[in-house]
Amino acid sequence: MKEKKVELRVFTIADWEKEERYLQKRHQEGWKFEKVSMAGLYHFVKCMPEDVVYQLDYNEEGLQHKDEYVQMFKDCGWEYIQDFGGYSYFRKPVSEMQGKEEIFCDDESRLDMMRRVFAGRYIPILIVLMLLILPNLFEQLQSSEADAPILLVLFLILLVIYGWAAVSFGVRYWKLKRKTEK
Amino acid sequence: MNAHIRKVYVPMSETSFYILLCLREESHGYNIIRKVEELTAGEIRISPGTMYGSLSKMEKDQLICFVREEEKRKTYCITDLGKDVLALEMQRIERLYRNMMEVR
Repeated sequence: MKEKKVELRVFTIADWEKEERYLQKRHQEGWKFEKVSMAGLYHFVKCMPEDVVYQLDYNEEGLQHKDEYVQMFKDCGWEYIQDFGGYSYFRKPVSEMQGKEEIFCDDESRLDMMRRVFAGRYIPILIVLMLLILPNLFEQLQSSEADAPILLVLFLILLVIYGWAAVSFGVRYWKLKRKTEK
Repeated sequence: MNAHIRKVYVPMSETSFYILLCLREESHGYNIIRKVEELTAGEIRISPGTMYGSLSKMEKDQLICFVREEEKRKTYCITDLGKDVLALEMQRIERLYRNMMEVR
């Protein structure tokens, strides 16, 4: 029976680089990533410590044509692990690389991925949050009762978190874009 | 050629240029990656995420078209629009090269 462990980690939507580094670090410590499941539970299995690069892609079209999408990465030596929340997880041992390798080789394609994340994840979540918040807000304004608007406060906190995530996402996007235009 | 195509592809990235150059003959993504590696003596190795994204973007913009699928690999070929865009880029790069050689 192999030794296993599960860790809880929360990465916001635009944090894929942090997530990649986290998985690489665990593998260096001798914990091979198995899968991520609901609510950010990361499953690992004990292994020999190894330097393995983890990469996340966000490509809805790829998920719709999974066979050929995965094949392209496989041809280039990237092992497909799973997809989760629209992201696809890949890894490749450094020992099999010629120099530094990533799944994107220019800033233009990195920008394209950010655009896909924005359209596929940010906008839907923002819409859902607004749909949750606005009716609540109107209710609060109309009712004269002085009960604590717990739900509304909760939603507003969520909105602030997402607002912050959106701003940091925007800054990164803008920086990368400026770099490509130079 | 409409304004969108001009804005996105003139000038285009090195990756896009090599993809179009290779697709004057039918080819699939991984084949293009190997061919570009050969053409540039290993200098340019296109990554799979970049290749997949570029091919779907170019197909959507009708610079290339899908030919057939074999063993989970999609084969593409350049279209007339793709050839026009490639010709424009070649002219631009030729001019760049001429001017560079003059001052060299």
